[in-house]
Amino acid sequence: MKLLSWKTATAVLALSLGAGLPSAWADAQQLATTVCVACHGEGGHSVVPTFPNLAGQQQDYLAKQLKDFIDGKRKNEVMAPTIAELKSGDVPGLAAYYAGQKPAPGKVEDAKLAEAGKKLYEDGNTTSGVPACVGCHQPNGVGNTRYPRLAGQHQAYTIQQIGDFKSGTRANDKGRVMRAVAERITEDEMKAVAEYLAGL
Amino acid sequence: MNRAAWVFFAALACAGMAMAAEQQPREQGIESSDYVWNEMYADKLQALQAKGDPLRGEIAFEICQGCHRKSALGRADGSYPRLAGQHATVLIKQMTDVRAGRRDNPRMFPFASQHAISPQDIADIAAYLQGLPVPDDNGKGPGTDLAQGGKLYNRDCSSCHGDKGEGNGAKFYPRVSGQHFKYLEREAQEIRNGNRRNADPRMMRVIKNYSDADLQAVTDYMSRLPVSTK
Repeated sequence: MKLLSWKTATAVLALSLGAGLPSAWADAQQLATTVCVACHGEGGHSVVPTFPNLAGQQQDYLAKQLKDFIDGKRKNEVMAPTIAELKSGDVPGLAAYYAGQKPAPGKVEDAKLAEAGKKLYEDGNTTSGVPACVGCHQPNGVGNTRYPRLAGQHQAYTIQQIGDFKSGTRANDKGRVMRAVAERITEDEMKAVAEYLAGL
Repeated sequence: MNRAAWVFFAALACAGMAMAAEQQPREQGIESSDYVWNEMYADKLQALQAKGDPLRGEIAFEICQGCHRKSALGRADGSYPRLAGQHATVLIKQMTDVRAGRRDNPRMFPFASQHAISPQDIADIAAYLQGLPVPDDNGKGPGTDLAQGGKLYNRDCSSCHGDKGEGNGAKFYPRVSGQHFKYLEREAQEIRNGNRRNADPRMMRVIKNYSDADLQAVTDYMSRLPVSTK
């Protein structure tokens, strides 16, 4: 008999191990619904396209990003005042909270562009050496415990992040790999792949 | 150089380093008079001595499969070779040679660099790849001169690469059966021309006088060798 889904069981386990106390879960919910919600929206569905959707994001990725923000390895002016108030003890609960929210696809505005993006995502560009994104980010952009979910993300946010990796403004990628990839991605390819990912 | 100019160039150099990705180093290779084929250096030895775990390797291979594709089948257009079923020793040699700058491959370098993968990761990836199945849907050549290809293969190649193109892991000789023709042809040209700087000089000597047509014929033949026997 299957009482809990595997994912829920893992989230509960991670919570009990990571945060220790049931109050951490309540604290995380409280933080999410009173503080984070202002930018990241209800249940992690942001309404401003430059603020990322967090709903259903990979838990390990969320935890790493929050930790990197706290440690100053990832910087963002808008996030800075909130991060200054955040304690490292809040991280596991928040990561579990947003990982547990149901993701939703965004809106594709240019179907032809999305089609070109799908090609880059699944095949890469053998001329310029862009690897296929699917290799790490998985079919349909769902990510896994090592790579973030990209599906359903706002176009503007995806474009901004690839651009930041390309310029080196964002440098908290594991093994410098995403920076090496982004360096080979053109502006047009960024727009195309972001359009494709938004609709997943 | 005056002080102002020095400061200017130093600043320029720093800006350049901050922007660009790490460049592949360049070690001495086949072009140097004291070249030693398959020289053992620390990084390669560490990876060869580590016990490779195929399960960990499957995970570590994620950063490779954007190019080498799922199940390491590569691409028939030869842009990326098939790695499935290759000998672990050969794979370790090539990965460590790329990151040491002994085989020029700036495109692959960031994914094989010490920042991206450890010697243990390399051993794990190699163990995973060696055990993968090799389907016979690899890219083939034009099939126009297989008699000449077979003659050359059996005369010059099979003593190292094996009668069935199975290679020899203990001797670091790659398996060539099941590989994409376009990749085999390109690498054979690179080796003949001295551009594959970690190549075996004995092979370079053997194919030194091969014409492009000979190389095409022999690699076409290789691409059609049976894949069932490793």
